[in-house]
Amino acid sequence: MASVVKNALKAIRERGIGSFVRELRDEGYLYVHLLRALILLFPALECLIDKETLKCLFDGNLLQTKIHNIGATLVGVDKFGNKYYQKLGDTQYGRHRWVEYASKGRYNASQVPPEWHGWLHFITDHTGDELLMLKPKRYGAEHKENLSGEGDEYIYHSKGHSLNPGQRDWTRYRPWEPATKA
Amino acid sequence: MGLGLLASRALRSSRILTSPNPRNTILRQIVSTPELQNPEAAQAQPESSPPDLPHRAPVAGARVHFSNPEDAIEVFVDGYPVKIPKGFTVLQACEVAGVDIPRFCYHSRLSIAGMKIKTDTPIAKKAREGVMEFLLMNHPLDCPICDQGGECDLQDQSMAFGSDRGRFTEMKRSVVDKNLGPLVKTVMTRCIQCTRCVRFASEVAGVQDLGMLGRGSGEEIGTYVEKLMTSELSGNVIDICPVGALTSKPFAFKARNWELKGTETIDVTDAVGSNIRIDSRGPEVMRILPRLNEDINEEWISDKTRFFYDGLKRQRLNDPMIRGADGRFKAVSWRDALAVVAEVIHQVKPEEIVGVAGKLSDAESMIALKDFLNRMGSNNVWCEGNGMHPNADLRSGYLLNSGISGLEKADAFLLVGTQPRVEAAMVNARIRKTVRVTEAKVGYIGPPTDLNYDHQHLGTSPLTLKEISENRHPFCSTLSNAKNPSIIVGAGIFEREDKDAIFSAIETIAKNCKAIRPDWNGLNVLLLNAAQAAALDLGLVPESKNCIESAKFLYLMGADDVSLEKLPSDAFVVYQGHHGDRGVYRANVIFPASAFTEKEGTYENTEGCAQQTLPAVPTVGDAREDWKIIRALSEVAGARLPYDTVSGVRSRMRAVAPNLLRVDEREAATFSPSLSKPESRQEISSEPFGNAVENFYMTDAITRASKIMAQCSAMLLKK
Repeated sequence: MASVVKNALKAIRERGIGSFVRELRDEGYLYVHLLRALILLFPALECLIDKETLKCLFDGNLLQTKIHNIGATLVGVDKFGNKYYQKLGDTQYGRHRWVEYASKGRYNASQVPPEWHGWLHFITDHTGDELLMLKPKRYGAEHKENLSGEGDEYIYHSKGHSLNPGQRDWTRYRPWEPATKA
Repeated sequence: MGLGLLASRALRSSRILTSPNPRNTILRQIVSTPELQNPEAAQAQPESSPPDLPHRAPVAGARVHFSNPEDAIEVFVDGYPVKIPKGFTVLQACEVAGVDIPRFCYHSRLSIAGMKIKTDTPIAKKAREGVMEFLLMNHPLDCPICDQGGECDLQDQSMAFGSDRGRFTEMKRSVVDKNLGPLVKTVMTRCIQCTRCVRFASEVAGVQDLGMLGRGSGEEIGTYVEKLMTSELSGNVIDICPVGALTSKPFAFKARNWELKGTETIDVTDAVGSNIRIDSRGPEVMRILPRLNEDINEEWISDKTRFFYDGLKRQRLNDPMIRGADGRFKAVSWRDALAVVAEVIHQVKPEEIVGVAGKLSDAESMIALKDFLNRMGSNNVWCEGNGMHPNADLRSGYLLNSGISGLEKADAFLLVGTQPRVEAAMVNARIRKTVRVTEAKVGYIGPPTDLNYDHQHLGTSPLTLKEISENRHPFCSTLSNAKNPSIIVGAGIFEREDKDAIFSAIETIAKNCKAIRPDWNGLNVLLLNAAQAAALDLGLVPESKNCIESAKFLYLMGADDVSLEKLPSDAFVVYQGHHGDRGVYRANVIFPASAFTEKEGTYENTEGCAQQTLPAVPTVGDAREDWKIIRALSEVAGARLPYDTVSGVRSRMRAVAPNLLRVDEREAATFSPSLSKPESRQEISSEPFGNAVENFYMTDAITRASKIMAQCSAMLLKK
């Protein structure tokens, strides 16, 4: 939220208040603020708008995506719940495919599983559901998002790392342990 | 064959062929009949000496012409002598002898097809490239993930002689991998059907497990039925395989051969002293390979020698320990541990001090132990496996007198209470070789066993031995008809009560069949452990027969198989060794010592050949070399031994047993028929001979700690 405010202030400083408001209107932000004000005034409205939408109201990116979604076709949903949209026609070519992340609080590009990556980045026209059939059965590893910055327990530690719970014993010999019984 | 060798061969041959001297060129050509170049001259010359053949006339009146009478050599065809000039082919010799050999290519009026050998012409190069291309057609190009990569004959030859590009675009053949057990890994697609492994298994190892199945592109090596390779020499097929089809399972994907440091040393897991190379990376032993020694192990080693090395990394003693009042071990400093032992050793009577050397002890540590205990006033030092009253007086009484390679001269064997296949696999391979080549007869007395050559099971108890010594047994005639009879006695007999009676019976047999002559000593003892021969050379013989029962201070130097049941419960036991094995459980103080891969030590093998180990890897933890521990203890105990360096210990050894310093030289026992032993008054008991080695794969502290050896005994010893 703070970043949104900061960005807004920065934009005002750079381009003047007039153009900023115009931009906001173009991007649909005024609608957000209106809605927020409405909810604050009438809490009963909250039950009409679902939680997700409410959450996205606080995040400009998500809201923009939501607005973008209007009129677009939902091409598929992956196993994490990310939704993949496509809108041909009045969209700029090369920006006509996008993802709406399942996680609204914390999202990043590494949440896109490999089967959808190709479709999303215009590498292929096959959707993730089609590519999933090509996934090798035996050694295909499950997709994991990048959890850097989320804490030591989430990130990968090599097998000798002291933070790896199954830390490998690198001593080159195993000493004899005296029997514990007397 | 290494790349260097190939390159030097190629160089040498090209030098010969490009040499301006024409005589060299002639040497390289195999043109055996000069007169063929000039048939008229050959016909014109009169026959000088018609071949002297009573029964057969030369085929189609073939005549022999000797251009130089000195060149005549005599060969035997089906037993008939034939005189032929040097350089004749076998075909020609047979023709002269009147034997018609079916053939098509050879014709006496024509040159021998294509026999102008050129090795560096463009055609030869192209032909080799063609052969390489065919070999690589069905060979996977997986060198980067192949364990043979870097030491592969096919890789080397392909680099040296192969083409630099391939034209092969079709599918490669693939072959299902075979399960040959816990030691040999197979990637059968890499096999080039050279059949070296099949020939090794049937000729040297003596098991008919491997064979060639199918024909043409369906040809593959296999075990006929799904079955493991049950040979104690199976690891050698790994060395023999020129490609990566058979590789070491424990070594798979562990290291690359160019990362390894080779240390030429010897093996101590049995009394043969096989020559090995320990390949190590940093502080770890990665693998063990055989070294060529025609007198001892040829170029083979047993599976135990090759694969026990993972035992060196487990159950290691790395700190001196003292057992506290609560019965638990506590790691202490060397100073404290030595002080405790030195204090206790002064509190007991000298005759209550006993020392036992283990089966892996080197000669240096054994002489140090003996010197130290002698200085403390005790003379009860021995080496396990030698029994309480060994015949240490004459070296011929405990050595393999004919030598391991000398066994090849024998034409009849009598194995008494020994199963060489499990006790000394390399000696067994030598006996098998002899039996295969000369069809020597083998008689065996002992529990039923599986020897991998034809043998006669004469009996199970010493009573059979008595029958033979009294000439009442049918095998006596085999022995007395033999030119070089060889009697091999197992060292398991050392532990028997009626040992002297058995040995006197064996000596009678040896006398009856004239096994002991100035040119042949066929009375052999096959020892079990690496330390035994050196211990007897150094005089590690206990003074009293029941010293264990009265011991108050017992020094176990790596001795794990000595029976401690009769040891008084108040005895103080010091265990010095490298593995937490059977010996430590009774110990009061533990001194950690280094294993044979970590120290320089002298060992004498069963035929009396002294050899040295070299340190391949650093020692673990706070462990020290055995003789240094005893030297330090002697100083703390106030009986300082006079040597500080390994050369000092060796000069002491020179005074006792000078043969131990003549390394890599077999010091045969002096032949002394005049020295006859006093007649034994013992009676031979009817108790059958036992198995000296119950489990081939686990015989000492290191092999018992090895996981691979445990797998082997679980999978391969299943009956």
